[in-house]
Amino acid sequence: MAIRLHINKKDLAKQEESELHLMPCKIHGDQAANVSSYFKSSIRKIDEEHYDCSFRGYPLQGKKVIVPAGYKGIMFMENKKTDAENKNRNLYCTGTFSQFTYWNYDRIPSKNDSLVAALDWIDIAEALHSSET
Amino acid sequence: MDEKDENETEENNQGREEIPREETVNVIACKEDLNPFFEQSNHSINKVHFSEVPQICRDEPCQLGVDEAGRGPVLGPMVYGISYAPLSRKQLLVDLGCADSKSLTEKKRDEIFDDICKHKDSIGWAIEAISPNVIANSMYRRTKVSLNEVSMVSAIKLIQGAIEAGVNVAEIYVDTVGKPESYQARLKGVFPGVKIVVAKKADATYPIVSAASICAKVSRDHALRAWRFREGDSIGTEYGSGYPTDPVTKNWLSENVDAVFGFPQLVRFSWSTAEQILESKALAVEWEETEETEMPNEQTILKFFAKSPTKLPNVHTKKHPFFTERCLSNANIL
Repeated sequence: MAIRLHINKKDLAKQEESELHLMPCKIHGDQAANVSSYFKSSIRKIDEEHYDCSFRGYPLQGKKVIVPAGYKGIMFMENKKTDAENKNRNLYCTGTFSQFTYWNYDRIPSKNDSLVAALDWIDIAEALHSSET
Repeated sequence: MDEKDENETEENNQGREEIPREETVNVIACKEDLNPFFEQSNHSINKVHFSEVPQICRDEPCQLGVDEAGRGPVLGPMVYGISYAPLSRKQLLVDLGCADSKSLTEKKRDEIFDDICKHKDSIGWAIEAISPNVIANSMYRRTKVSLNEVSMVSAIKLIQGAIEAGVNVAEIYVDTVGKPESYQARLKGVFPGVKIVVAKKADATYPIVSAASICAKVSRDHALRAWRFREGDSIGTEYGSGYPTDPVTKNWLSENVDAVFGFPQLVRFSWSTAEQILESKALAVEWEETEETEMPNEQTILKFFAKSPTKLPNVHTKKHPFFTERCLSNANIL
């Protein structure tokens, strides 16, 4: 089984970036959502990097996370997920991003959150794989 | 600190400042002023207004009444109100017709509210509209904050605000739906040296509480009507009284469900009426476990046996905590 990622040079060159929100809950659905009117309209800025919002009445606290230098965030979409296990799968690039808002449920985002901590790996991987000087 | 101007004390909410707006209503001289006041408001957060303190209320000892409006509805803010007047002017409140606000018609309440505003040389008042979003947020916190707690904090904040503004508060009368004893003890702790009476149906007994009740109720009615949906113009405004028992309200709730986000922020998401409708009409949402649900000391007999040596070659597949703590794993599958 192979997974093929389709990225156009055009997609990467596009200046326009997508706005992403990483939610602290699982929404059992896969569809377009009225993010601007129902979510973005009530985001409040607390300070330079912290935000407040609500989802379904739950209090959320958010922080902008910047994709590390040298990396680029890319979103993919699979048009039709194949059921057969040994079939090739195709994922298509739908946009790029260099930052996203990371939302926590009633907790200020911090270094202890697994997502923010996971980004440590990038520095460690760099150290591990760079040639000795 | 010294750069703060006076308007800011009115706009200060939960230690957080509102985004400054082009024009703000600073004086509410009649009930009509309540509409622009609430229309301008950022509906996600609470909104506070203090009337100007009459000079006589600084000079003479005053009685202060506290009451709320809109505790039960599933829609719109819950409004806390205070009113105060010099002890020497008790009769004025009776003359204005301040009585049990529930026994008054809406028209009569509106009239009395305007009369209270007109007597700004002897009666002062203040309200806090507690946003439905704040109510739901409080009740859905990791550590839940009850509506009673939200209420008490609001009441104390309003009284403190009046005292800080210079009101000579000698007596406080509070209407409560909960237990009067604990509420009274708490207020005594916060306001030592002030006579405090907390009673059920104080609204009907003390004219100063009726006046507070009228300020709260009239504000609540206007806040609900002046609600502007940030979620879009397509949302209908036929939402009725906001009470869960009102068929118009129920119908509006059922017809305004967004599959992902649920309801506009007019709705108190934490009300069971709202929860039930979302359960059947919106996408299911799973939140991370609030508390670790560990099995209580469950021992299995397998613990007493040594691991089979055949499994030893797999030992290296156990990931280092660095990776498990960060939820990192190899991307074999998507």
